[in-house]
Formats: sequence, C-alpha cells, structure tokens
Amino acid sequence: MAIRENRTLLIFFYVFIGVFAAICLIPFILAVSGSLSSEAKIAANGYSFLPQGLTLDTYKFMFGSKSDEIIRGYLNSASITVLGTVSAVLVTSAYAYVITAKGFRFRGAFAFFAYFTMLFSGGTLPWYILTTKYYHLNDTLAGLFVPYLLNVFLMYLQANYFKSIPHEVVESAQIDGAGHYLIFFRIMLPLGRVGLVTISLFYALQFWNDFFLPLMLVTDEKLFTIQYMMYYMMANIQFLASGNASRISGALIAPPLETAKLAMTCLTVLPIAILYPFLQRYFVRGIVVGSVKG
Amino acid sequence: MVRRNTFGALLALVFTLTLVLSACSSKSNEGGAAESSSPAAASSGAASTAASSSDANDASKADFSEPVKLKLLFYTGQSKRMAELASNELKDLVKKEINAEIEYVYLPWSEYGGGKTDLMLSSGEEFAAYTDINYLSKSVSKGLYADLTPYVDTYAPDLKSNVAAASFDAFKQNGKQYAIPVGNRASSAAFYSVMVRQDLLEEVGMTTIGSLADLEQYYDKVHAKYPDMIGFASTDATYMLMYEYTDQNLNWINNFIAVNEAAQDDKLISWYETPEFKKYAGLMNGWYKKGIIPKYAVTNQPQLMSDWNAGKAMFFPGTATRPIEGIAGITKAVPTAKLQNYFLSKNDRPKISRGTYNTAYFVSANAKHPERYVAFFNLLQKNQELYDLFTYGIKDKDYTIDENGRVTKLTSDLFLDDWMMMNDKFMRFEKSVPDDFIEQYKHWDDDAILSKTAGFNFDNTAVKNEESKLNGVFTEFIAPIASGFVDYDTYFPKALDKLKAAGLDKYIAEYQKQFSAWYANKPKS
Repeated sequence: MAIRENRTLLIFFYVFIGVFAAICLIPFILAVSGSLSSEAKIAANGYSFLPQGLTLDTYKFMFGSKSDEIIRGYLNSASITVLGTVSAVLVTSAYAYVITAKGFRFRGAFAFFAYFTMLFSGGTLPWYILTTKYYHLNDTLAGLFVPYLLNVFLMYLQANYFKSIPHEVVESAQIDGAGHYLIFFRIMLPLGRVGLVTISLFYALQFWNDFFLPLMLVTDEKLFTIQYMMYYMMANIQFLASGNASRISGALIAPPLETAKLAMTCLTVLPIAILYPFLQRYFVRGIVVGSVKG
Repeated sequence: MVRRNTFGALLALVFTLTLVLSACSSKSNEGGAAESSSPAAASSGAASTAASSSDANDASKADFSEPVKLKLLFYTGQSKRMAELASNELKDLVKKEINAEIEYVYLPWSEYGGGKTDLMLSSGEEFAAYTDINYLSKSVSKGLYADLTPYVDTYAPDLKSNVAAASFDAFKQNGKQYAIPVGNRASSAAFYSVMVRQDLLEEVGMTTIGSLADLEQYYDKVHAKYPDMIGFASTDATYMLMYEYTDQNLNWINNFIAVNEAAQDDKLISWYETPEFKKYAGLMNGWYKKGIIPKYAVTNQPQLMSDWNAGKAMFFPGTATRPIEGIAGITKAVPTAKLQNYFLSKNDRPKISRGTYNTAYFVSANAKHPERYVAFFNLLQKNQELYDLFTYGIKDKDYTIDENGRVTKLTSDLFLDDWMMMNDKFMRFEKSVPDDFIEQYKHWDDDAILSKTAGFNFDNTAVKNEESKLNGVFTEFIAPIASGFVDYDTYFPKALDKLKAAGLDKYIAEYQKQFSAWYANKPKS
C-alpha cells in the first residue's frame, strides 16, 4: 500500500518537474530558433518555436564582422574562469582551513570577520575607489577575478567539509612532525576533495557568468569577456528602446538586429550548456554531503 | 579562555573599524587638499575659482606648451575603423593642434547618467563625457563638474562661433558654464510634428497631412489595406496634438508644468489641471479604443519602437532630423520606406525652440587641465575639414563626396556619433536623402521662436521630496490617462487627489517663484 502511494506521488512529482522543466526550456528554444531564423521573417511574424526561413546568416554575420572579438571574448572568459577558479579555490580552502584548525587561537575572530562581510558591505562607491585607486585593478586581467577570490558562503561550505574530517588524522600527522603546510596540502585538500569540486563548480560558473567586474573595471576592449559583450549589446538595446536616447538629443538610433541578439545569447550559453550535464551531479552531491556532515 | 577569545575578537573588530574609518576620512581629506591645491581644477571653492579666472585673464592666448593626457568617455562601442583612426590620424592631429593625447573610453548606454559614470565622477576620476540638463543639475549640485566658464573664449573660439549662444545658456547654472554644447542643428518643434510613412501615405492615394482628420483618414485607409499594422508607435502625443486641442502655443518644462509661448508673461501652467489636458486625454483615449495605439502598449512599450523599426507602424513623433536618422532602421525591413514630417493644424503658430537639444560635454571636477578638454571640443566643431574627419573618417577611404556635396559612406563603421556632432553649417546628407527634405530641413528653424524658458534651470532642493512623489504618481496614475489607456472622467479625479497629496501645489508654487525671479532679471531681447 505504502509503496503504491509512493508510486502515485512519484509519478505526480515527475510530471510536475517535467512540466516545470519544459517551461524553463521555452525561452531557450525561442532564442535558438530565433537565431536560426531570417531577420525579415522575425520582424514580420515575431518569435516562434521552429526557425522561420532556416538560415545561418546571422551566425555568418556575427562571425564575419566580429569574429576576432568573439574569439577573444571566449578566450578571456575561459582564462578568467580557469585562473579565477584555481586561485579562488586555493584562497577559499586556505581560509576555511584556518578557521577550522584546532588550537588556532583567533579562528573565531577570523570566522567572524568573514561572516561580517556577509551582513554588511561598504557599498559600490568605496568598493570602486578601493579597487581602482588603491589596488589599481582597473584594465587588468587580475581585476576580472581577484575581487571575487573569497566567497564567504563557499568558504563556510568548505569549512564544513574540513570539520567532517576526523581530527585524529590531523593529530597523528602532527605527532609525526607534519606542519600546517603539509597537513593542508597532503591531508586536508585530498580528504576534502568532494567539497573542492563543489566550490570549484560554483566558482567556475560565477566567473563565467560575471559581467559586473568587466563593467566596473574594464574599458579596454582586449579584456572584454563574452558575457560582458552580451551585456553591452543588451544594455545598448534597452537604452535605445526605452526612449531615453531622445533625452540626450532627440536622436533616433536604430538598434541592432533582433536575430543578432538571440545569436549572441546562444553563443554565451553554449559552453555552459555543453558542460553542465556532465558536471551537475557534483553540484547536487556536494551540497548534500556538506549539509549532512556539517 | 572563551571570554578572552570574544574580547580579542571585539578588540580586533574595533581596531579594523577604526582603520577603515580613518582610511575613509584621510581619503576625503586628500581629495579636498588635491582640489584646492590645484588652481586649474576650478572646483566649487571660491578661492580656486578666483585663481583660475585670473589665470585665464593673464593668458588671454591659449597655452598648449605642456603635453597632457585626456580621457574621453563615450557610450555605445568603438568601431574598428574608429580605433584605427584614433591611434593614427586623429592622434597626430590632436597632438599637433592642442598638444594632447586622448584616451577614448567606451561604456554601454546603461551607464549613462548614472551607474559607472556616477562612480567615476564620485571617485574623482579625471574625464569628460556627455550630459543632459537633468544630469548636469544633479551633478553640479554635488560639485562634480568643473566650471568651464573661464576657458570658453580662449580655448574654444571656433566652437563658440559655430554653435548657437542659446545652446551655451542651456548648460549654464548660476551663470557658470558647466558643459560645452557640441553640435548645432535645427532643433525647434521637437516632437511637435508627426513623422509619417510617406510611402504608405502615397500608397493609399493621399499626398499630405495637415490636420488630425487627415491623420485619422490615413490610419483608416492603411488599416483597411494592412490590418496588422499599428498606427501610432508611441504613447505620448502631447506635443504633436497640441495644435489640435488648443489655440495657445504650449511648451512643457517637465511632465507637470507648461507655459504658453504666445503670451508675454511669466505664468506657469499646471498642465494636468487644464481643460486642454482633458481634451488631449480624450483624443488619446479615442486612439486607444480605435486601435491606433495598439492594446499591447499598456504592458510592453519597447515593442512599439521595435514595430516602428520593423516598418509595422504608420506614424511617430517627429523632429527635424528624425526622418533621416530613423530611416536606416526601417529600410532594413522595408526597403521602399520614406519618412516625412507634417504638422497638424499648426497654422501660423511659430515653432518653439528650446535651444537645448544639443549634446554637451562636461569635464569632471578633478580634471587637472579642463582647458585642454575645452580645446578638444573646439576641434570637433572647428571647421568643415575636422568635422568631416571626426564624423566620416578619411576622405576617399571611408567616404566620398560627390559634386553636390552629398556623402557616400564606404564603411559601416561609425566614428564619433553623427547625431551628436550634427551642425547645420557642416553636416552632409547622403545621396538617398531627397532634395525636398533638405530644403525643408534648411528652413526648419526659420519661423522658430526661442522659448521664454530657455536658459532657466530649476533648483529642486526645496521640493525634492515632492518631486519624487509626483514622479511616482505620474507613472502610476497619470501616464495611463495621458496615454489614453483609461478614461479621463472615471480616473482623473482620483489621480488629481493623489497629485495634490503628493504636493503638486507646493511644487508649482516653488517653480513659479524661481521662474518669476529669473524671468524678471532676464535681459529682454
């Protein structure tokens, strides 16, 4: 009886989740089909699920006129994601180790400092002044990932993994004469692997999807990331469509093509869409493990 | 042990806070010191202003001896050709003319008048960018713009003679020039005309439009032929219908306040309380019910502009230059499209010019060499040769000019935005622009009068709260009535109550007080 009940419930859940997933997929399908349609048809009939007048013209146009920029954007995004993720994971796990290390007197204080920034932040202007005037991160590659090196939430997540490692392991290593450096690299990191994978994925996604740092810190086109190019284009379209342009000069400026917007969207999503199915199991597993043992 | 830990943490916290705070305050001290120590910065401080103006008096000739670096901020993006030009021909030219090196910086439009532009201004970066009057008054009240008054005569003599004086006045506050207008074009009667798809008009057997009746006839005929097309691709026809619903010659200072340019007085009109607004709302409601304004406009206004650009709309509010600016967007979808401006029953009412529809550049307050920025703006409008270079690129490489002076662009890359640079003295038309348009354009401002409000800037400090409340009420209650989405008689009484509660009377009284004082002291022409 109980099994049958479970079964009905299960079917209901599957249907519900299936419908929900389908709804989430709709905008994406529209974008893909729009990017493969011809501009004239889109202008005349609006969007549709199937491409109208199937053509690769938009992609040809994008790669014809902007191929250098797009490839550079991809390269920038990729290198920032790799560099950012590696250094962020290193910084984050080191901090997590510090606040979990037994016998370190100020670990409570350090934990509090990190926690404090989750509750209060200085605001955008002080942040901007700090990054540009003091750290001179503007128009540098470092500026595109250094400000995000420590995500406090992920740091606590990693700290929970470290806490779940039996202290006896560390103790016996200490008895054998291992220092913190050795313990961290040889014991904690290998044993906290699941956590590392999880926070790496979160970081990687964050770095790939970010357009705030380039917006704030970069004006040199050579450092534009693919997401920022996308944001740039959308922001311009938004502004022109809102009629604010006439506030400046009464000017009427033609926004870019409808299909080009959609093609750009597809280009930014593509790498993540390809990688995600292979990586998503780590997301789920990682969070669950952390929550139980923490 | 535990207690000591907590104590240690608190102590450390306090220590850190002190550090942070002292860093902040030393920062602001630094800023203040930097400002007052450099006389050329011409900050709000009286001493420094005096110093810089005496500097300008001493050197009545422009001084370019010291090489400087300037930073110019633009919105939209930089094209490939512009980047090439900027690092070759333009670089040499600017070096030769004003001994400066220019860094061109580009941001997306979302950062205009706020966002990163605000951050850059507030953090004291040195740069110049364009501004409108709203942003100007906001920033000047925070002391973020440099006072450029002392430099205009010395460093921008050509610009001054090529740009109308009224444009300069529009960007003054308390008699000081906070931004330099670049460009000079026929700008009267902006939005007072109806820009019509001339190709459609002719297709349905009509030739011209001279009244509201004509316009609606045009809609009916086109609608019968193309039922999918929308009529009016905007939700605001306050200006262009003005000639129909009143005999006055109204002009609007902002959403709430109008003046009658035909009357020689300083009386401000509370626009929403007039019978004219009622008539206007009635007309718009009729358009909405009839479908001239599409039903989707209520929820999806950006779609109107997309439809217009896709060639699926019949008319739009016009300006002198819109028929040529807007055509490129439409001809992508409808190659045969033609645009033409018409006035509804205007008769002999003069066009109203506000002298403000030009773009202007500000220089940030911390700039060490504001005069060099001014000298650069001068280059933009110095003569035909430089205008062509900044707007069209290199002759015979990026554009050609035929015997009639018509320009043909050889590249689709943009240089400096041509809508920004447009100056009647220098501007060129493309081959596709019909002669009669150019003829109309040349005489556009002939019957124009300068608005009596031109040059007046409102100081909103006394009624800041009222202003933001009123804007809220406008969006929520007034705009739907003004766009005809809802019926005036049913909804207006409540909306009026809301306006009154938000402080409409106080706001208008304050406006009237300042305007009367300014009007009384205005030199009569």
